[in-house]
Amino acid sequence: MIIGADEVRHVAKLAELAVAEADVATLATQLEGIVAFVAQLDEVELPEGTGVTTVGPDQLLLREDRIDPIPMSRTAAEMAPEFREGFFVVPKLGGLAEG
Amino acid sequence: MSAADLARETGKRFAEADARGLNATLHWSQDVLDRDAALLDALPSGPLSGTAVALKDNIVTRDQPTTCASKILEGYVSPYEATVVSRLRAAGALIAGKANLDEFAMGSSTENSAFGRVKNPIDLERVPGGSSGGSAALVAAGVTVAALGSETGGSVRQPAAFCGVVGLKPSYGRVSRFGLVAFGSSLDCVSVFGKTVADAGRTLCAISGHDPRDATTRQVAPLVLAEGRTDLRGLVIGLPKEYFPDDLHPGIRAGCDATIALIRELGAEVREVSLPHTRYAVPTYYIVNPAEAAANLARFDGVRYGPRKIGPEGDLRALYRATRGEGFGPEVRRRILIGTFVLSAGYAGQYYNKAQGVRRLISDDFTRVFESGVDLLFTPTTPTPAFKAGEKTADPVQMYLADIFVAPASLAGLPAMSLPIGRDGGLPLGGQLIAPDFGEAMMLSAASVLEQSIDPMEEVR
Amino acid sequence: MTWETVIGLEVHVQLKTRSKMFCGCSTTYGEAPNTNVCPVCLGLPGALPVPNAEAIRLGVRGALTIGCAIHPTSIFARKNYFYPDLPKGYQISQFDKPLATEGAVAIESPERGAMSVSITRLHLEEDAGKSLHDRIPGMTAIDLNRAGTPLAEIVSGHDMRSPGEARAYLTTLRQLLIYAGVSECSMEQGSLRVDANLSVRRPGDPLGTKTEVKNMNSFANVERALESERLRQIALIESGGKVTQVTLTFNAATGEVKPLRSKEDSHDYRYFPDPDLPPLVLDGSWIEAQRSSLPELPAARRERYESALALPNYDARVLTQEPVIADYFEAVIAAGVEPKTAANWVLGEVMTGFNERGTFAVAPARLAALAALVADGTLSLSAAKKIFPELATSEEGAGEIAKRLGLIQVRDEGALAGWVDEVIAAFPDEVARFRGGEAKLVGFFVGQVMKKSQGKADPKGIQPILMGRLNG
Repeated sequence: MIIGADEVRHVAKLAELAVAEADVATLATQLEGIVAFVAQLDEVELPEGTGVTTVGPDQLLLREDRIDPIPMSRTAAEMAPEFREGFFVVPKLGGLAEG
Repeated sequence: MSAADLARETGKRFAEADARGLNATLHWSQDVLDRDAALLDALPSGPLSGTAVALKDNIVTRDQPTTCASKILEGYVSPYEATVVSRLRAAGALIAGKANLDEFAMGSSTENSAFGRVKNPIDLERVPGGSSGGSAALVAAGVTVAALGSETGGSVRQPAAFCGVVGLKPSYGRVSRFGLVAFGSSLDCVSVFGKTVADAGRTLCAISGHDPRDATTRQVAPLVLAEGRTDLRGLVIGLPKEYFPDDLHPGIRAGCDATIALIRELGAEVREVSLPHTRYAVPTYYIVNPAEAAANLARFDGVRYGPRKIGPEGDLRALYRATRGEGFGPEVRRRILIGTFVLSAGYAGQYYNKAQGVRRLISDDFTRVFESGVDLLFTPTTPTPAFKAGEKTADPVQMYLADIFVAPASLAGLPAMSLPIGRDGGLPLGGQLIAPDFGEAMMLSAASVLEQSIDPMEEVR
Repeated sequence: MTWETVIGLEVHVQLKTRSKMFCGCSTTYGEAPNTNVCPVCLGLPGALPVPNAEAIRLGVRGALTIGCAIHPTSIFARKNYFYPDLPKGYQISQFDKPLATEGAVAIESPERGAMSVSITRLHLEEDAGKSLHDRIPGMTAIDLNRAGTPLAEIVSGHDMRSPGEARAYLTTLRQLLIYAGVSECSMEQGSLRVDANLSVRRPGDPLGTKTEVKNMNSFANVERALESERLRQIALIESGGKVTQVTLTFNAATGEVKPLRSKEDSHDYRYFPDPDLPPLVLDGSWIEAQRSSLPELPAARRERYESALALPNYDARVLTQEPVIADYFEAVIAAGVEPKTAANWVLGEVMTGFNERGTFAVAPARLAALAALVADGTLSLSAAKKIFPELATSEEGAGEIAKRLGLIQVRDEGALAGWVDEVIAAFPDEVARFRGGEAKLVGFFVGQVMKKSQGKADPKGIQPILMGRLNG
């Protein structure tokens, strides 16, 4: 088994996703099923020098250095769940270090 | 017909679809329709004048909400408009409402919407396919003749097949993604539904072309349709044997056999070919896509927009976890967890890097076949006709396998489309054409010839 | 037994562009919060990044300036972590395929003299916004004006062996990047930021466990912080403890470093290539064009001042410290002033004023005119130095000011003879001693004549008259 309850909790923490303890076991089973399914790729031998697929253009097109912001019909203040004195506001960082 | 008349007519049809309980639309308003129509009537006509086009609700609009069928974006109205929407307006189209979808386009049945499942207009007990099920249902129900959906791994072709309409995914880089809420960025394509091949084709022409706001669009001119063909003479159509397994649904097989016979009658050379890595497409897809999705969905954190929830600890982490934990539905949460897992320390090489390599092999399979003189591939779009609601919701992997014939072209970035090829027990069947990179014009002209020779209502067995 | 300190630095510099790295928002510093924002840098749903050509160009020029090899293909990647001033939940940065690697910077170590610091890599990335933890009581305030500003991160090898060497490296690096026009490199405005890694070991031992020091807001504080951390680690080991890998923050008020709360899990950044950005492919001939159009760098300029202009090493070093000063100096020469004279002026009066005001108050041509009056004997050097500040505030030319202030040297023989005669009359004893053979008293008489003339007499005119009278 690759994904157990601990892995679910660890990955949920990395993804900042609350997962109810009651759901952990079910999720572990489902994720294990998915991981077992994608593990089919283990049987594929990648020939030496296999690149990765790039879709879209082969190279990056750049834009000119001009001040040309995309206009917005609503302001940051209008969209924000909490906005004070010109700032987005969030609770203190708690478990996330400052800096 | 004036745009004002079209707006009234379209509103009436939306209301009828609502009354049937299709649940295909997340937002539409007669006011917005009328206002847009007034603007259109004041402008010279364009290639899409007189055409109402519905939008999948993961394409951002300024005057209507964009929710991606997720509670995490409930009430969100974008302050800017997607490039494809501006291009539709410029072509004279009437923007007609926002269609329901699987939450953040994650699903194959449109049962994952936070705002309820979409019903297949052909059989209300069945799913319309997904994730663009709302757009497909609106076109199938005759509410609009065209609709925009989005494809990441078949999310337009598969519902087109289930609902008996035309669905076309363009080449990656043909159409701007600016304003399409990102899901799997290296796979995402704004795609089109049409009542007919021509409806899909002209809608695609209007939205195609390079966009300076999307660095992944190619610097090519907008698509122009080829002169109409009357037959398929001179074309070589490949039949990849991996798409016709022994256990293929007999109705699908019968439909494909009839179409293949027709392709021969119309003068094309039919050739069996092999795409040996086909069976790895779905597992590859379910690594690449969740990895990209997990990163793309990190921005929904309750800081700058959207609803905010805060857990009992009251700190920032409690805000993140509650906003995201409560805002995302089960399939989205699963994909975020899988995507985070396959990129996490110690696993990236085994999963993500491996999948990128296999993706290359899948793409090379197509290149080899097209370089051998094959012009187009013909395959079934789906392994079965539309299944019943609830039939596959318990097992994510069974649901994922519904995309087995559509995922490969998405991974390779190739243009592909589904068109109706008949019915089995009253349910629509879809046949798929896959073309070389940027081969949409040839694919559409061939599809148009087939369309004229196929009765989509005919029972295939 | 002695300890060896091993230091490596990560320097972030803001590239001098008008607009942000991936969107058209202005990079202007100090605007009202959350006003230079758009869908892209706010991380709104559906927005996509498009890179700024000028940021790429400046990154390449910066990399060439510090001797790096530019990679023809580099890749932007997503660095995933959650933080409220990181709008997308990932930072677009370069990871395993950076823009440039393997450079070197020649520095003057205070302990070891001339040495080279290797540059491991230079990569491009976007900045995060600012989190203000004391702006709103009990809450964290977020300003996203800075989010998306283009940065180059320059990672040095672990080549420095003292806090002083670290400072010398930073001073040189800053000078180079300013010369190349890549960045303003202002620590106050945050356009240059430094993170340091430090470990200690017994000479010859393998590397010790390193710690990371952040939050140093000046080069002097980098030196202080590293000194403090060095001593902390040595004391810890000598008392039987063990250094653990930790991130520390420097408190400038106390001069101490303190551990930050640990960022759990934050080091699993889950990098992968950003699918929104195809590979950055740079044409070889374009890279060469950038290389050949780089301005003359400080070392070359210093060398030229010493060899072609025959300036002492000290003068050449100070003049080339900042390109604006060297440019000013060269403009003064171009206006006709002899190099050593120009250097004396620039290193003296000009730099004093520049350091006070941050600008040059006297145009090079006006300084040259003043210097010419000294050269032709119209003004004494001390008179000219009195005139220099007037040139900054007045519209008048040096000659007019000299007249107005009565500073023109008197060369009229009658007037000079009058002062000489008065001096000879006033000092009969000294005259007698001179005539008795004390030749060195000439200086005394000249000084007395200057005094009598209130500094206006031309010393060169005094001498012949004085000698005539004394010997006559």
